This record gives sequence, C-alpha cells and structure tokens, in this order.
Amino acid sequence: MPGREESSGSSSAGRSMQGTPRQGLGPRLPHMGKWTLLFCGCILAAAWGQMNFTGDQVLRILAKDEKQLSFLRDLEILKPQKVDFWRGPARPSLPVDMRIPFAELDDIKGYLESHGLAYTVMIKNVQVLLDAEREAMAKARRLERSASSFSYSSYHTLEEIYSWIDNFVTEHSDIVSKIHIGNSFENRSILILKFSTGGSNRPAIWIDTGIHSREWITHATGIWTARKIVSAYGKDSILTDILNTMDIFIDLVTNPDGFAFTHSMNRLWRKNKSSRPGTSCTGVDLNRNWKSGFGGNGSNSNPCSETYHGPSPQSEPEVAAIVDFITGHGNFKALISIHSYSQMLMYPYGHSMEPVSSQKELYRLAKKAVKALYKVHGINYIFGSISNTLYVASGVTVDWAYDSGIKYAFTFELRDTGRYGFLLPATQIIPTAQETWMAIRTIMQHTLNHPY
Amino acid sequence: VDSKQGCKIDLVFSTQSYNQEEGEKHLGNCSAHVFFKNEKPRPAINITCTRSIEKKKRQEDDYLLYKQLKQLKNPLKAANIPDSHGHIDPSLRPIWDLAFLGSSYVMWEKTTPFLHYNLVRLTSVKQWKTNDTIDFDYTVLLHELPTQEIIPCRIRLVWYPGKPLKVKYQCQELQTLEESSGTVEGSAESTELSNI
Repeated sequence: MPGREESSGSSSAGRSMQGTPRQGLGPRLPHMGKWTLLFCGCILAAAWGQMNFTGDQVLRILAKDEKQLSFLRDLEILKPQKVDFWRGPARPSLPVDMRIPFAELDDIKGYLESHGLAYTVMIKNVQVLLDAEREAMAKARRLERSASSFSYSSYHTLEEIYSWIDNFVTEHSDIVSKIHIGNSFENRSILILKFSTGGSNRPAIWIDTGIHSREWITHATGIWTARKIVSAYGKDSILTDILNTMDIFIDLVTNPDGFAFTHSMNRLWRKNKSSRPGTSCTGVDLNRNWKSGFGGNGSNSNPCSETYHGPSPQSEPEVAAIVDFITGHGNFKALISIHSYSQMLMYPYGHSMEPVSSQKELYRLAKKAVKALYKVHGINYIFGSISNTLYVASGVTVDWAYDSGIKYAFTFELRDTGRYGFLLPATQIIPTAQETWMAIRTIMQHTLNHPY
Repeated sequence: VDSKQGCKIDLVFSTQSYNQEEGEKHLGNCSAHVFFKNEKPRPAINITCTRSIEKKKRQEDDYLLYKQLKQLKNPLKAANIPDSHGHIDPSLRPIWDLAFLGSSYVMWEKTTPFLHYNLVRLTSVKQWKTNDTIDFDYTVLLHELPTQEIIPCRIRLVWYPGKPLKVKYQCQELQTLEESSGTVEGSAESTELSNI
C-alpha cells in the first residue's frame, strides 16, 4: 500500500560514511616513497573510480594568538580550495586541523614555517587510512569464516544467516545436515536444518522461526537453539536421550523474502512478498494460510491487510514447502512455531474457542514448560489455547499441525510485552534464547516420553 | 460485562520504574476501574496508586529532564528510535521517554474493548525552540492488535514541569483511510485521570 513503506536503511544519525575523511590520529603508517604512493594511489583510484587522497596529509596547527590565527585564515584566501579545514580557525588555543593535498604540501609547510606556525603531522597519508577503513567495513560485512566467530548476540542479515548455516553444517556434519525444501515467492531457497544421530525416518520434532519477518528475535533464538542442540548432545542427558531416539528439524528463516525486506526497506514487514493481479498490495500472512479453519475470523480477505490469508489454503510457496515436507515425512510428533511478541505459550485452536481433545494434557505441558522458562531469568509467560490467550486467528500453523495428527503443537510468543516489541534490543537475544530453550526442551522431553 | 451499557474492567496492578537502567525497582501498587461506554474508544478511567517516590523527588526528576532538554544547543532532530536492532542511544533516551508519554495518551484515546496498541518506534522527532516550554513534533508508529496493523501518527507535545501535558495528534488509518485525531490535556502528576 503506498505510503506504508519506510526506509530504514540508515537508522543512526551521524555515522561516519565510506570515503569521508575522518578526524583523529590515524595508526602509525609505514614509510613509503612519495612517488610510489602516488603511483599506487592512482591505480587504486582508477580501479575504484573514487576521489584520490593519496599522499595528502592532515596537519594540526596551534595558533598562539590572533595574529597567527589570521595567517591561517589568509591561507584560505591565498590557496582557495587547496586547504581543506577539518577544524577551522576559531580562536587561539583551539587546534586547527587541515588536510593538504599532496601537491601542495611543500608550499603550505613553507608558508607555515615562515610565519612561525608550529605544526604536527596528524595523518601522514589520508588515502591509506581510507583504504584501511574500507577494508575493515568490507571485512565486517564479509561473511563470517566460521560458525564459532559468528555473533550470537546480534541480529543478522539473510546472507549472514545462510552463510552461518553452511559453516554450521560443515562443522557439525556428524549430527547436522541441510535440506532444501522449496523456494520462496521471490525464488529464495527455503533451507531447514536436520539434527539426527542416525536411524531412518525417526519420530521427529519441527521448529520454525521467522514466519513473520519482523519478529527478528525468533530467527536469533532459532540460531542459538541450533547451536545449543549440538553443544548439549552428549552433555545434557535429557537432550541426548531425545536426539538418540528422535530427529529435530529447524526452519530458521521461514519467510526469507519478508526477512530480506525488513533489512532493505521496511523493518516492520510481516507477510511474505507474493503479489497478485488486481492490487498493488503485496504479501500474505503466512500464519493465516494453513488449511485449518481457513478464511475464518481473525484473518482477512483484503490483500492490503496484515492478516490477509491469501487466495486459498497453502497458496503460498513458503507454507506449501513445509506442508509437503511434513506430510511426506509422515512421522512428526511435535511442532513448535515461534513468534514474537507477548510472552505466551499456546496450543490449538486459534480458529475456534472449542478446546481440542488433548486440551488437558497440553495445558499441563504448557504449564510445566512455562515454569521451566521462568526459572532461567524470572520472565513471566501466560499460557493456554490461542483463541483464549491471544485472540481468535484462523488458518494458523498449529491448528493445521494438530488436525494433521501432530498432537504436541505449540506456538510461542517471545519477549517482550510491548515496551520494545518487535524492536527487541540485541542484548536480550541470549537471555531470551536461554529461557526459551528450557521450555522447548520440556516439550521435547514430554514428546519423547509419551510416544503415540 | 454489561453489553447494553458497555464494558467494565477492574484492575489491580503494581508499577515499576520505566527506566530499566535503574533496575526492576518496585514502585507502587495501583487499582483502577476502566469503563468502555458502548464499546467506544477512550475509556473512562478511575485510578488510585500508592507511590513510593515522593512528590519532591518527582518534581526534581521532572526539572532535571526539563533542564536536559533545554540545554540541547540546537533544537533536536532525530529519527528511528529505537533503531532496527532495538538500540536507543543513551542521549536520546529522554526523548523516547517523552514520546512514550505522549503516545500513551494517543493510545488511550484509541483503545476500545477490541483494539489495543503498543508503541513501536519514534520515526522522527523535531523540537521547536521556545522560551519556556518543551515543544516537540513527533511521528510514531503504533502496533495495533489484533489487526497487526502499523499505524503512523503525528503527535505534537508541549510540556512544562508541573503543568498539564498538552498532546495534539493525528493518526492515519491505512485500511479505511480514516483519520483519528484529537487534543488531550493531562497531568503526568495527578493520581486520578478523569474522562476529559
């Protein structure tokens, strides 16, 4: 819908940008011949098509009095556009910083010396600093070399997550593998992680995160959980028992198109990015597109709505891929779909206030899981069926799962309760993941001990 | 709930310091009576709280905030608080706090038995330079539940410690192209918010 999209590209004011000269002392630079530098600089500049600051220096001058200060001001008149004041002449006792182009160095230094102006060379070669800065930025953006140097307490881009997946699978190939279950509307790969210690088509547990792209804490929690699973195997007896009998599958970026969009254009995008003729509004709410109570209350037939259910059940490739995989597998015993925010743990139904037949057992399990979660950091979750706890919503994942025979179908709404909401500070990623893990573990343990 | 007259809710809750840097300090207890007449927005609220911060300390804190905001050299201009990663620069915290206060009035005005709101983000702030009052123009994004819609609102907030807060706002309802707008005057200090 026009007017709804906001640019969230540069969110912090005043950050230093590539190519802008910086103030401050640079690192100690190796001594290089003037002309070698100039030559290299020209090549590099030509290659990058950028402004060239090779050999330029930044001088700091302390004017003793107004007279000396005026000499500096005169410099601007004598050498128009040849002197670039980073800190202009203001008053004596305040340093004056100026960038001098390579070709002017001898002249300017001569001028300063002849007028008794003391100076120091703050930056010996501006271009070298710029190159170093550019390299550092590229390095930071460049994908992490290993899953262990990946920051689990930061939010990441789609590319970073996919790169982490590859590293993670390589580093833990004894337990983890990657499966491509389909493609999104914009043709991005939908990848899931499989955790297995062997066997063939073992009873399985499904976890998905990021079905609503703006819920960034869910992807972050999923990634941390994946790492937790491999590190806990062989150490945590409960998890070890689980993994010795069952397989775990995690769909980390259930809505990759939406997620990419939250990084590029609109941090608050919720739906996928499918388009249809007849309307300029895009996107289907993937958590209203499942075949259970489809089109009922708590979903919307208006394509411009945030809870638009789509033209038909499973019409969306992101949902169809999961349905096909789970149905094809045929042996899933639990499904956990993770959202944010509200601090809730819920079971079906969303589309109706009627209790499911396993309601009593699910209630008790939810209670136990929430208690385990609370023990970690004292965070309170409420629990119950979706329709009773949150609101009536039709065509949701867990309703479909339950109706398909997956009894232990739960959905989380992670931290917080509205203070930061979707924009949960990254400092809360690990605490959130730690407490959520204890709840997930409780559900998995119960599933293991109650085969059906 | 008497649907003929409206919806009555009685609440009891405890309060804690909004500023989490001060820790989860328990501040007081409140009991409130909320009444939605005929499912209309802006419920009548009768609330009493026990406070554990003395009036004097509150006035001091208010004046401190006032001074902080007055001391800003150039009228403040900022955008996207918090950023995409949930971070708020400490220097911008007071701005967020004030915006939250203004937004809470707007949200109260819009709340019905079926719709409630949370503040997502301050998309832009612009300060007006005045001699005495603190005067801000904000745009905020509100998260509407259960529709899940994101509602942009423009808010004009005028504050002076000890005086009632003045809030003018205009929200854009994207779906229906309706606009909700209004003016609220409220006191941040009073222990009773009556229907204005």
